[in-house]
Amino acid sequence: MLEVNLSGLKLKSPIILASGILGVSFSSMKRVIDAGAGAVTTKSIGPKPRKGYKNPSIIEISPGTFMNSIGLGNPGISEFISEIKEIKKHNIPLIVSVFGDTNEVYLDIAIKAENTGADAIEINISCPHAEVSSIGTDKDLTYEIVKFLKAKLSIPLFVKLNPNVTDIGEIALAAQKGGANGVVAINTFSALKIDVNTKRPILSHGSGGLSGKAIHPIAVKKVFDLYKVLKIPIIGCGGIDSWQDVIEFFLAGASAVQIGTALYKGTEIIKEINDEITQYLKNNEYTSINDIKGLAHQFKTQEVPDFN
Amino acid sequence: MKNSKNENYITPKPGQFVMIWVPGIDEIPMSISGCDNNGNWAITVKNVGECTNAMCKLNIGDYIGVRGPLGNHFKLPTNNSKKIFIIGGGIGMAPLKFLSTKLTEMKIKHTLVEGAKDKNDLMFMEYFQISTSDYSEVDYCTDNGSHGTKGVASYVFKEIVEKLTEKNLPNLIVYSCGPEIMLYKLFQICQEYNIEYYASLERIMRCGCGLCGLCTLDPLGLLVCKDGPIFNSKTLKKIQDFGKYQRDFTGKKIGIE
Repeated sequence: MLEVNLSGLKLKSPIILASGILGVSFSSMKRVIDAGAGAVTTKSIGPKPRKGYKNPSIIEISPGTFMNSIGLGNPGISEFISEIKEIKKHNIPLIVSVFGDTNEVYLDIAIKAENTGADAIEINISCPHAEVSSIGTDKDLTYEIVKFLKAKLSIPLFVKLNPNVTDIGEIALAAQKGGANGVVAINTFSALKIDVNTKRPILSHGSGGLSGKAIHPIAVKKVFDLYKVLKIPIIGCGGIDSWQDVIEFFLAGASAVQIGTALYKGTEIIKEINDEITQYLKNNEYTSINDIKGLAHQFKTQEVPDFN
Repeated sequence: MKNSKNENYITPKPGQFVMIWVPGIDEIPMSISGCDNNGNWAITVKNVGECTNAMCKLNIGDYIGVRGPLGNHFKLPTNNSKKIFIIGGGIGMAPLKFLSTKLTEMKIKHTLVEGAKDKNDLMFMEYFQISTSDYSEVDYCTDNGSHGTKGVASYVFKEIVEKLTEKNLPNLIVYSCGPEIMLYKLFQICQEYNIEYYASLERIMRCGCGLCGLCTLDPLGLLVCKDGPIFNSKTLKKIQDFGKYQRDFTGKKIGIE
């Protein structure tokens, strides 16, 4: 009932672990799978070890809404190979998130991940607080990197979209044109939190990416808009914290979803959401979650009234 | 730390920690070393790095950020039927001071074993004398023998255990915090003698609430910030990283010295 086929990846649940959350160690990713996730996405992996920004780098700014600026801290692909191997030993559907500063660096890491057994690559061209964000705000650069990588990769390629752009649709279309097998909509929103007592931004980097509850309705809107123009699957991402949030993404047109921030409540939340989605589908007499994809589009919404 | 506003106030429990932000410097996890009934919490700082150094230079009235209380806590006995040992090394005494205070409030007897490199590094000596001595006794030990027994805390504890009769052993509980090598030795002793054991672990962390994954313990994927920092023997037995590995800020696994 919850099975989805995401560009060839057969998942037992449409809920995928989002990049950046618990994605450093095979053991935490296995735990997320054991809790019911269909696949896991690793932390974004770069060419070499990178410390990222100092703390504070993750803060909760209102219940369930967080801001972070990790700054792409990661152990580097050479070190991370052993974690990929360990994950694949457990037969876990694995998406490796990749970042770099040139298309060639992206390719090198993606190929190493593919050769070690990754089932798909997600490219992070949209981190709102690190230098690689520039690619994801430009449709031509997005098209070029996707085309470049697709020519060499055999496994599916997903593009994580930056919502901090004027027109997310043109970037998504560029990714599709380049041959992407899906887009992840969306990454975090660029945001700032200032402490009123000390008058300074709290995160060590200053600005950060907003995630969690507050961004869910915005993410649903992005998925809804993208579904109208894209042919490739959309992976809904942003603020999932209940079964309704997942259903909303599907009704808007998502083919799968990613969960991240809500895991501060514990990984058990995934099992609960799976169970409740199943119940929802049964109650509404659907046999598969795929049957509700895009259903929100069938309704006519009111046109903009004339001004006179 | 004085609690300035009373709404949403949560009382911390012994073993829990907070993330302390020193504006402009860093944010680090620190054990809560005490709290009173008026919403005031205490942390105990040893100047060991950039952030703790900055803390030591703070003046009364300066702002710091506090997130917490975070993590689980020591499972407390409810009566005097158990023989309780609280064993700490160095700054690891901080959460144990809170635990000893709580047990004293509950009128539960306990023995503290405190170890340090040198007598000048021993902590809370006066506090234990004044505040908890009605219900506790303290065995001090130092690496150089400058105060108390010469030797490490695990050695002192082993000496104590070896003097006990076999039927007393299942009646013991050990709570501990300190260098992981010490915790691992205590764990081994408690395994050998079948003693109930709790250790408070420490790892590098960013979020403190189950998201960043830097404090993951292999192979179960347990998180020090959320599943811990306190783990019992049964769990410790399954943690391959215990006493051996931690992760640095890049997420790379490195050995524990």
